[in-house]
Amino acid sequence: MTLVLGLAGCAKNYVVLLPNDDGTTGKVVVEAREGVTLLEKGREGADIGGRVGKTFEVSDKQIAEDFGEALAASPEKPVSFLLYFKVGTDILTPASEADLPKVLAEIRRRPVPDISVIGHTDTMGDADVNARLSLMRAGSTAEMIGKLDPSVISADRISIESHGEKNLLVPTPDNTDEPRNRRVEITVR
Amino acid sequence: MATLRLLVLAAAFSWAANVSATEDPVIGYVKTVEGEALVLAADKATPAKPGLPLQIGNMLKTGKQGSMGVTLKDNTVMSLGPDTELVVEDYLYSPSKGDLKLDASMNKGSLNYVSGVIAKLKPEAISLKTPAGNIGIRGTHFLVTVEGKD
Repeated sequence: MTLVLGLAGCAKNYVVLLPNDDGTTGKVVVEAREGVTLLEKGREGADIGGRVGKTFEVSDKQIAEDFGEALAASPEKPVSFLLYFKVGTDILTPASEADLPKVLAEIRRRPVPDISVIGHTDTMGDADVNARLSLMRAGSTAEMIGKLDPSVISADRISIESHGEKNLLVPTPDNTDEPRNRRVEITVR
Repeated sequence: MATLRLLVLAAAFSWAANVSATEDPVIGYVKTVEGEALVLAADKATPAKPGLPLQIGNMLKTGKQGSMGVTLKDNTVMSLGPDTELVVEDYLYSPSKGDLKLDASMNKGSLNYVSGVIAKLKPEAISLKTPAGNIGIRGTHFLVTVEGKD
């Protein structure tokens, strides 16, 4: 059942689902003792503590009225870059080295940036060695960013992580040479 | 040769391994501020400004004319409208170990929420409590408003 929310001055304890930037829409559930109310359409809302299963459509005008300031305060969405490495090393491929200026430009564009650098390997060789190799990849990438422009970001705003061979971009069996898995992911926030 | 180089570099970066193995108390940062906005810890209240680090247990609080936006390490984006109180009760983000959790509670106000990596990997690990009931997040963008009781 869908109603248009138009009552001014009613108790304002409600959730409204919005579409994602990529056009998809996620899901939210409002939980109560008696059961849950599922929201799965854009601008579909439900009262928190309201009747289970009862949802309503929320107008753009209502959203602007109730959430205009919250929406205006939204930080920019984080952006991620993938850089790839030569086999068994922490040396970037030439193509990925050429991508570094784009990463720096994105960091510079943001007023108070922080970044994550997450290192990964393919499944060639030993998992422990790969855990160290992926850490080296993350560390040397962070170092390279600092060398290219020491003022772009301070070291305490860089978080270095290592996933070894445990988080493959392209799923492969063990001991598989896969260039797309030899990577770091840099997320700029 | 490749092995030797690997070992030398591994030694050079062992400090980094130690650093990342210790608990990093910073879970995210304030990114935008308008008007009156505070970040409260158990023992102090800090005026929010862009770049201020956030820790578990912090309350984000905005005044009648205030608003503030934050990002967390898993790329969760949250922004608060005026007269809002939101506490980050618990936060775990260590995907390589599978440690993922985001517990927040909202006492009052308005919130814009865009989920991050935790919602993708383990949606049941996120909860948002409000005085009128809890909200479960399944990877998504949503808004919440809660009427204060004060």
